[in-house]
Amino acid sequence: MSRLAAPLRHPALRRARLPVLLIAAIGLLAGCGMIPPEPDTTQAKEVFNLYIAVLVMGAIVFAGVEGFILYSIARYRRRDDRLPTQVHGNNTVEVIWTAIPTVIVMILFVLSMITLSSIDARAANPGVTVEVDAFQWQWTFHYLDGDGNPDNDVSITGTPANPPVMGLPVGEPVHLILRSSDVIHAFFVPHFLVKRDVVPVPEGRAPNDLEFTITAAGTYAGQCAEFCGDLHSRMTFSVQAMSRADYDKWYAAVQSGKPPTPSVAPGGTTVKLTAADISFDVKQLTVPAGQPFHIQLTNKDSLPHNVGIYQGDKELFRGDPVNGVGTIIYDVPALPVGDYTFICDYHPLPAMTGTLTVK
Amino acid sequence: MATTALSPTTESYRRSWVLEWLTTVDHKKIGILYIVNSFLFFFAAGILALVVRSELAVPGLQFLDERTYNQAFTMHGTIMIFLFVVPVLSGFSNYIVPLQLGAPDMAFPRINALSFWFLPLGGILIFSGYLFGGAAAEGWTLYTPLSAGTYSKGVGTDLWLVGLLLVGTASILGSINFVATIFKMRAPGMTLFRMPILVWTVLVTQTLILLATPVLAAGMIALFIDRNYGGSFFDPNAGGNPILWQHLFWFFGHPEVYIVILPAMGVVSEILPVFTRRPLFGYRAFVFATVAIGLLSFSVWAHHMFTTGQVYLPFFSFMTALIAVPTGVKFFNWMATLWRGSITFATPMLFALGFLSMFLIGGISGMVLSSPPIDFHLQDTYFVVAHLHYVFFGGSVFGVFAATYYWFPKMFGRRLNEGLGKIHFWLHFIGFNLAFFPMHILGLDGMPRRIADYSPDAGWTMWNLVSTAGAFMIAVSILPFLWNVAATFINGEPVGDDPWEGNTLEWATSSPPPPHNFDRLPPIRSERPVFDLRHRHDAERLAAEEATAHAVVEGGPS
Repeated sequence: MSRLAAPLRHPALRRARLPVLLIAAIGLLAGCGMIPPEPDTTQAKEVFNLYIAVLVMGAIVFAGVEGFILYSIARYRRRDDRLPTQVHGNNTVEVIWTAIPTVIVMILFVLSMITLSSIDARAANPGVTVEVDAFQWQWTFHYLDGDGNPDNDVSITGTPANPPVMGLPVGEPVHLILRSSDVIHAFFVPHFLVKRDVVPVPEGRAPNDLEFTITAAGTYAGQCAEFCGDLHSRMTFSVQAMSRADYDKWYAAVQSGKPPTPSVAPGGTTVKLTAADISFDVKQLTVPAGQPFHIQLTNKDSLPHNVGIYQGDKELFRGDPVNGVGTIIYDVPALPVGDYTFICDYHPLPAMTGTLTVK
Repeated sequence: MATTALSPTTESYRRSWVLEWLTTVDHKKIGILYIVNSFLFFFAAGILALVVRSELAVPGLQFLDERTYNQAFTMHGTIMIFLFVVPVLSGFSNYIVPLQLGAPDMAFPRINALSFWFLPLGGILIFSGYLFGGAAAEGWTLYTPLSAGTYSKGVGTDLWLVGLLLVGTASILGSINFVATIFKMRAPGMTLFRMPILVWTVLVTQTLILLATPVLAAGMIALFIDRNYGGSFFDPNAGGNPILWQHLFWFFGHPEVYIVILPAMGVVSEILPVFTRRPLFGYRAFVFATVAIGLLSFSVWAHHMFTTGQVYLPFFSFMTALIAVPTGVKFFNWMATLWRGSITFATPMLFALGFLSMFLIGGISGMVLSSPPIDFHLQDTYFVVAHLHYVFFGGSVFGVFAATYYWFPKMFGRRLNEGLGKIHFWLHFIGFNLAFFPMHILGLDGMPRRIADYSPDAGWTMWNLVSTAGAFMIAVSILPFLWNVAATFINGEPVGDDPWEGNTLEWATSSPPPPHNFDRLPPIRSERPVFDLRHRHDAERLAAEEATAHAVVEGGPS
């Protein structure tokens, strides 16, 4: 023991004490930030515990190796021109230090697999099943109520300016079916400590799915995590978790709140607009002032498009989306003379922005 | 110099300086061309990094729109990986490996020149997207179907593919050249197990390039056909599979990580013994660990794809974690080399020690990511960005700067200024940690990578600001480095042939070496022929002392 303790009394190490303490303090501060958000699903709690176990193992490895390096460079700095002993290797210690990482790896692997099988389990009867349709660059949450009639299902589609809210009940398994109609996206809610890619799959292949049980009511931010093009950063949404009773009320409200399809008033000017490849075919529309008019929007993409009319940041009109290939005719109220902006609320890009002149 | 008599043609006619460098087939000049070319691309991609960090410093879009931002990070990643880190390490290998082997040149000098000249051409093609309606903007991984024709029509993506195919071709040609050189051009006495560690790591690296790059090339050709000639390799609506691209890309892309880290490990394993005056502890174990990492690197690619839901998680998780074993062995070897050494802290050694500490953090965060349930949370967040920068920047780039300071006197006969070098190191080291450590925290908190903007309510502002400050500090640290290089060229002090008391054969010739490298070679009896030469008396004395000590111990207790 005395031989081991001897180097600690070395003056070089006493000099090194302050920097070492400083580094330890910085390390401790940094380590405190290395914690994920508070987990709010039963699955997330297991991932959180696994992460903490791995973090502790990692911290021990880091402290051990870094401490050894710092000790060595403080203790063995060159003092004279003598050649140190020339040690080329030692089979015993080399076998031991091959075994150490092997054991750590095995522990990590076994812990990971236990957690994986637990969080990947699927409930026989999930409380709610939602089909999540990702598109460039927003989400549609399509609630499958299981009555076999898709016409009365609730569907919520967001725009980059108005991201959608997914209402969900607390304490019940929630099943998400993840579909994409264009590129790869990823469904990610940080507080649930999980993400899953939303992959466009060939016809007949099962899409990815995800299941979790939320443990606390609240609003959780989420967004697309797989880079998906221009407005990737605007593919945000939120999950609003509530009690079953509140959820049923919320669901009924959304279901009844569906605006009836407006009937088109006869007469008035009709201007035509086509959306294809995420761009409008015309960038300039002209209509007469002081009288209602119609915009006929033909969508040739598999994405939702609409027409919104703005004066500066002020929204004057917002058309319903055409989800996929199809045509809609909007009834737009009369506008005073002036220049307005028309834009697709789902794709607020230069290619889907134009000027509406009223004169 | 005495070399004139041996090779009279070198002085018999004069070519213009420009023509000489454009047509050279000398591995040393080609090596310098590689290094200079790579640093130019490093500065370009570094400026793009500053653009990206400036935009992310605070919430809101201040300087760029989304498309421009996406182009900036795509070009930053592409150029840094394919036109800086890989080629700069190839450049040092090109210069040093034939010297360390005691060879007069590479096995195929003309192919060597060809594989260099593809690089600037490829790089210019990749950048030229900016002149033709916008550079590629799909991330350096170019995932399908986003990169397929429907969702990215610009010609920038095609230029990216063509430019990168050229760069890939250059890598494949270069790798054949390296493997042939290492197996066929060694000096008498230089057995495989007397090769310097750098040569071993280059051998494994170049074998990885040879096996992995053709797979990426095939994928890029398939994608080019999809985009331009109606192919459907990656189109889910026509029988293709978009995930196939990820398999092809990462089958190349993960060995690629080792392609850029192994030579840096080799550099560090050359520098540590010189500045501790100890042999590399466990030379053979280190060689086997290097080979093991090379082999394992082909069985871990799908750990980039855990969240796709289309890979067998236990296999790829296990193989990924297993890489920690040979990497751990290497760490123990490095630690044991430091232990009881006689350590000095010249700038190359500082960067080598920086490599150890930073790569350690990158390795540990890699272990965290190898666990699928944790990866489900961290995949595609800033945690991954932090991890990859600790490996690529904290690992490889620290290795590159260590190599630059270490071999600069060999290349030009003058040593870079130590004071400026230390200022460079400390600014670089602190800036690096400021820029990239907070990204771990941002990623854990759920900030996805590749977003042009984030909400002020997300709570990510402070760490983003710190990270941006760190990025600018790294940029500032480059200034003393550039000043140092310029000042050393103008009036650097000549330091002789072997200023560091090196171990390996490059230090047995003049600085800079003559065109044919060596007038005579010392005997090669170990992996440190120059050390053996310098310390032949010390070695005899030590051996005698050890023999006495053993005799005492053995004679003692019994």
